[in-house]
Amino acid sequence: MAFVRRFITVIPKLAKHVPITVQSRNIKRWVAPTLMELKRREDKQGGKVTNPRNTFLEWNLEAELYAFGKRLNEEFDSDLLLQAFTDRSYVIKEEMKQKELEIDLKMKDNRELAEEGRKFMQEYIQLYLETVLHKLPAEGIMCIRNHLISEKVLSNVSFHLGTKDIILAAEYPVDNSILAQTFEALVGALLQSCGEERAAHFVRDFVITQLQGQDVNEFWEIEDPWTMLTEMISKTGSELEPRLIGEVAKNTLLACYRVGLYLDKKMMSSGFGETVAIAKEMAAREALKKIFGTEETMHPINFKLNGIPKSRSQSKISAS
Amino acid sequence: MSNSNLFLKSGFVRAPLQNGVGRYVCQLQRIVLKFCKSHGGSRGMRDFIEQDLVDFARDNPSVVVYLKPRRHRSPVVVAEYLNGDRVWMSMQNKTQSEITKWIENMRTQQGDLSAVRLRKYQYTDHPSIQGPWTPFTFKNPELNVAKLPNPKFGANDRLPMSATEQLRIMFEKQRISKEEVKEEKKEE
Repeated sequence: MAFVRRFITVIPKLAKHVPITVQSRNIKRWVAPTLMELKRREDKQGGKVTNPRNTFLEWNLEAELYAFGKRLNEEFDSDLLLQAFTDRSYVIKEEMKQKELEIDLKMKDNRELAEEGRKFMQEYIQLYLETVLHKLPAEGIMCIRNHLISEKVLSNVSFHLGTKDIILAAEYPVDNSILAQTFEALVGALLQSCGEERAAHFVRDFVITQLQGQDVNEFWEIEDPWTMLTEMISKTGSELEPRLIGEVAKNTLLACYRVGLYLDKKMMSSGFGETVAIAKEMAAREALKKIFGTEETMHPINFKLNGIPKSRSQSKISAS
Repeated sequence: MSNSNLFLKSGFVRAPLQNGVGRYVCQLQRIVLKFCKSHGGSRGMRDFIEQDLVDFARDNPSVVVYLKPRRHRSPVVVAEYLNGDRVWMSMQNKTQSEITKWIENMRTQQGDLSAVRLRKYQYTDHPSIQGPWTPFTFKNPELNVAKLPNPKFGANDRLPMSATEQLRIMFEKQRISKEEVKEEKKEE
């Protein structure tokens, strides 16, 4: 009782200080430290673990391969399609496993198909570009073709067709070279299962269309446009004359010169730059674009050519 | 724009891989339907699977459909796209018609669009049609045929009045006023 009497005076004081929960919106200072701590622990465990999609429970390779063909509207031979998706690294890994278990099952990888597909793509893209950009010289066409069959472009195409998860490789995520090789192998597989024309249309629809919205001139770097232009003009026997047709703010930081190129006293092109030499070079570049038919105002490239176009030399012979 | 939008991934309106220039490719590559066989929350999902799923799979052979029954857990749809996006959506207590509409939405979109903040509602690779501006871009063509020197083109309409000019005008004014005074005197 003495205890109660002793503390009874304290009770009203305590009642005054009962904490009432007040809601307030603050900056949540615990978020960043928590995330940082979680990240630190994750790094300590050896980085973020991403399981490849084909180790999931809901994965059916056969269904995926079927859907892959349907997605692209192509009739792949199912064995060839599986072979096209089998990378060399996967075969090696499987053979090691089989040795341990002492069984021997033959597996084919996609190297041969890829080789075949690459060859076909090179030829077809070359012919297609020659037909579409018929004024561009062979060197320029080669540069555009090399861009199109580069690993960067092919791996991007391959990734966006959904090969990333289906590829059978030793390690995931697969790197760009495997993605690009798989795409080449797909072309090879299509070539074997459906013939040249279907394969050509496949390449046209997925690789050549990558030129859409791009400046064709950027792929071919011309070192010395002036020499090239004069050499081309001298063959025709015409007279090429550069003229300074405008200069502004001479001897200042913002100097701008304009040079016009006159072919037989008719204006062909003009270019500008901060020195006369640069302006002349730019004018020569413009003139070359005009000759090659690749100006900024050119018609869009035709992506609807059917069949495999004939090569330039052949068509010339047939024309004569 | 609300504050939460600041943390969204930003992007432009783009078609993946020039889709449609060559041929159209459905961007939804696989869809996983997870549901419970006994719970009420999965009712709509079960109805969808019973009535619409076979037609959906037949109409879209390019989409791989997986069914994943799990005991006593809420129904979920996970859609995976060709660009690597993954859309997770809870279908708890949704009716069959709602699920049909959501799945149609997932089939026709090209990625996880709701997680992207569009920077602009249009996009172009070539923002300029005329090319870079130079002092000669909008030059008056009248100048080409004018005979120089020409008072019209030689006139100073750019610089402020020079000190010499100001002095000259002051001097003229003074002279005029003196002349006026003289004339007045003469009249007197």
